[in-house]
This record gives sequence, C-alpha cells and structure tokens, in this order.
Amino acid sequence: MSNFKSRGFYIKFYSFLPIIVLFISVLNEFDLNYLKLEYFSFNFPFILIFFFTLKDFKNFDYLLVFLAGLVNDTVVGLPLGISSLSYILICIATSYLRNITIRPNPIKDWFYFLFIISLINSINYSILTLFFSYDLLLLSYLVNIFFTFILYMFFAYLFKYYLKGLND
Amino acid sequence: MASSRDDFIIAIRSAFLKKSTQQKFSLLTLVFISIFIIVLSSFDLKFIRYLKAGISEAVYRSSFIVSIPENFLKNTFFEIREYSTFFKNYKINKEELNELKSKSISDKITQFENEELKELINNYTLSSDKLLAKIIVDHDSPYLKSIIINKGSKDNIKIGTNIYDRSYLVGRVVEVNYKTSRVLLLSDLNSNVPVTIAPQNIQAIITGTGENYGEIKYIKEGISNLISQDSIVYTSGTGAIFKSGIPIGRVDVADTGSSKKFKVDFYSDFSQLKYVFAELVTKIDVKNEDQKVDAGNSQINNTVDTKLQILEEEKKIIEQTNLKFKDENELLKITINNLNKQISDFRNEVYDQKQIIAQYNIDLDEIEFLRLNLKFGHTCRKSFLNNDGFEVGTLEYKSCVMNKGQTDE
Repeated sequence: MSNFKSRGFYIKFYSFLPIIVLFISVLNEFDLNYLKLEYFSFNFPFILIFFFTLKDFKNFDYLLVFLAGLVNDTVVGLPLGISSLSYILICIATSYLRNITIRPNPIKDWFYFLFIISLINSINYSILTLFFSYDLLLLSYLVNIFFTFILYMFFAYLFKYYLKGLND
Repeated sequence: MASSRDDFIIAIRSAFLKKSTQQKFSLLTLVFISIFIIVLSSFDLKFIRYLKAGISEAVYRSSFIVSIPENFLKNTFFEIREYSTFFKNYKINKEELNELKSKSISDKITQFENEELKELINNYTLSSDKLLAKIIVDHDSPYLKSIIINKGSKDNIKIGTNIYDRSYLVGRVVEVNYKTSRVLLLSDLNSNVPVTIAPQNIQAIITGTGENYGEIKYIKEGISNLISQDSIVYTSGTGAIFKSGIPIGRVDVADTGSSKKFKVDFYSDFSQLKYVFAELVTKIDVKNEDQKVDAGNSQINNTVDTKLQILEEEKKIIEQTNLKFKDENELLKITINNLNKQISDFRNEVYDQKQIIAQYNIDLDEIEFLRLNLKFGHTCRKSFLNNDGFEVGTLEYKSCVMNKGQTDE
C-alpha cells in the first residue's frame, strides 16, 4: 500500500518536474555566467516554456508560467511584469503554432523559436529602454538570442527523453 | 485568399482565448494582467512599493536557498583555482603588508587632518558606521549587474547607501526592503560615479560597461592626454551621492589607434564578493557663525568641545606615534649596550693575548742568553786569568754574553 503511495508521489513529482525546473531556473538564474565565457549567456526558461507549451504538456500551467515571470523579474531586478509578458507571449506563439501545424517538424519549430525569441527580446528591449530608461547592451541581447537558439536543440533532445520516460 | 485570412484569425483567436483542459486563465487575460503590472510598477505608489518589497523578501530568500547547491559548486571551483596560486599570492601579500604597515601611521595623521579640513569647509561632520552584510543573491545577469544583501530598512539601510568591499567602493543601494536590499554594482551600465583621477587631479565620470571594468567618460576636452596608465581613480564626492575619497580602481589606457579608451580596473572583484560593508552615515551639524551668536555661550562651548575632541584624537595619534618611537629607542639602546659589551670583551681578549706574546718574547730572550752563556760565559766571566771579565749576574756580564763575548768597549 505504502509502495503504491510512494510510487504515486514519484510519478506526480516527475510529471510536475518541468514547472519545478522552471521555478528553480528563474530563482537560480541558471545561465552559467560565472564561467566567465566572454559574451556567453542563454535563456533557459525560454527554451523550457517554448518546448513544453508547444507539446501542450498538461502540467505546465500558464498561471504558474506567469508567476515564474514575476519571480524572474524580482531576482534579476527588472520592473515587475516584463518577464511574465515575455513568457506569456511565448505561450501564445506556441499555441498559435500548434493550431496551424498539421505535421510537426523539429527544424521548423527551431527556426520558429528563433523568430519568437528575437521578437520577444525586441519587445523587452524596447519597453526597458523607452519606458524605463534602462541602459542596455544590444550586443548581449543578440548573443543571448544566438546561444538560446543554438542550445534549443540540445535541451529539446533531453526533454524528449523526459517525455518518453513519462509515457513509459 | 479570404479563407487563409480566416484561418489565420481563427488560429490567433484560438491561441489567445482557448483554455486547455488544465488551464485556469486564458492567455489574453494573463497578457492584460502583465501589462497592468508593468504600468503599475512604473508608478511609485506606496501600496505597490510595499507589495514589491514583500514579494522581493520572499523571492530573495527562496533564491538564496535554491542557489545553495550551485553556489557550493561555484565556490569549490573558485577555491581550487585560488589554491593553485596560493603561495605566489602569499609572497606578494607579505611584501605589500610590510609596506602598508610602514605607511599606516602617516596615513592616520593625514586622514585626521583631512577630516578636520573637511569640517572647516562643510560645517558638518560625518559619523559613519560600517555594517557587515552577507550577499544572499549574486546572479550575474548579462543585462543588469546587481547583488542582494541581507540588510534592509530594519538595519537603517537607505536608498543610496554606499557599499564597500574592504575599503573599496562596489556600488550603492537602489532598492530597500525590510530585511534585504539590492545593490547596483559599479560595473552596471546604469551606474555613473563622479570621480577624481590622481595624481593629475582630473575630474571625470566613470560608467559601468556591463563587463568587469568601468570606463571613464565625460572628461573635459584636451586634458584626456594627461591621464596615464595606472592612475588611481577615487570618488570625488560631487553630487553628494558617493562619499569623497573612496578608492575605486586603476586606469588602463587602451590605445585603439585613432582614439584612446580609458578603462578602469576595479580594485574589487565583483564576482568574488561574499560579504560587503554598508556605510551608515549620520550627519552632525557644526553650527555656523550666526547661529553661534544666537545660541550664546553654550554653543560656543559645543564648538570648543568638538575642537577639543579633535585635538584629543590628534593627541592620541601623536601619543601612539611617540610610544612607537620610544619602543624603537629602547630597542636601539639595548642593541648599543650589547655592542659596547662586546667591544669591551674583545679589548680584554686583545690585552690578554698581548701579555702572552710579551711573556713569550721574554722567554725567547732568556733561552738565547742561556744558549750564548754556555758558549761565551767563560769569556765574559771575571776570573784569575780573565781580569777584563765581569761579575756573573751583572748587566755588563749579560751584555757581554749577548754580544758573543765582545765587550762594548
């Protein structure tokens, strides 16, 4: 009986893992910046949100994504709501892509991801510089977009394994 | 054409409004809430401020806990790297420490004089306490360079409080919560600090670059050529945002051919900060002349008291210096005494050796006399047959023997 219970807990934990990882990554700012690789940075939450909302993962609640955005803003020190808006825009983009796609193609998804993160970072940059008078380096945004785009396939591969494990 | 447009509109509408089975809110609602929050956060309302502070408190603490494993790995990595250069650094530090010790006393005196002069100029004194604060979040964002410390309004931290790493400036507080605060580092793009460049005494402003160095900007035209490599950069105190005279870094002149770039290498490594000091400054007014007249003798007494206090402090420093010199004198006296004793010992030794040598010489003469006496004694001795001889034991006899039997005559 207890075995069933503990097994049930693990399954539940496993099925909520993406959202837990999302919260850990926004609280921890997991981006390997301390390695001091010049210009290297990437946005892990973007990859995670894009992948799991594109797969319409049932435990990936939009409200929790929205809250993760608020947490990210607090940790990074951005005005509240900026990251939430970015994350929700990713959710909208993936929802739209799901609606118009009949036969999914990973390469098309990948380039669509590039388009979406470029668009969202542009909106982000515009809001911060125009409305909040922040001084930001455009180059670091471009580098961040590039590495996020490059690393998408690697993480997508890992996430597919996760989904396979969940289905098994 | 019309049908493809319809499909697009349907897909968009569905994306915005359709809720999946598990979703509680439509995406459009969340977009509106996000925009609403962004607009609200741009207004500086009291309610928003408190709400933000509450969220920040909870999030910073959670972030600190979540970051423990990553920080552990990161610190281990840095510690291993540090150990590899440990001995080299130790030697350099030892030399530096010796130099600094010798400078310490004169620095104290200069500091005191500086404070006294400042008081004369400003009509107020600044009493400051440094509060140790732990860094609980230091995520190195590519866009914003800031850290979170575990001291807030409860500990009298205010917006603008200067933050130090040892005696070096690292930034200032830009957001204060009840028990935490956000510090904007000097390396952030939004950081501007009025500075003085020594020894040229040039006034400038350094801005953050988003990297681990700053850049000197806004220098008066024509004087940028005066800035040399390794010039020292410290706060000028202009604008009263930062206290004056706080060291920041050294100038690194990068010649790009057509123009020169002035980088500032910060003394403090912002990626290695664990603890920092927050300076709590209290302003104590020293009354001006008019107020002195109005307030009468009691205020004069206060000024006199302040001056007396300053003089007492000066006396203390001088006493400390004197004590040090006295100790040094004592030490030198002992050394001199020891040396004198050594000299006296050596003298005695030399005298003894001279005595031995003299005795040796006497013995040598005696032996020579005895040898010659055996040989020429009969020639010099007075006897029945030798009337020209001398009595044995007289000086003449000895002289005769020594002259090998020949008399002086």
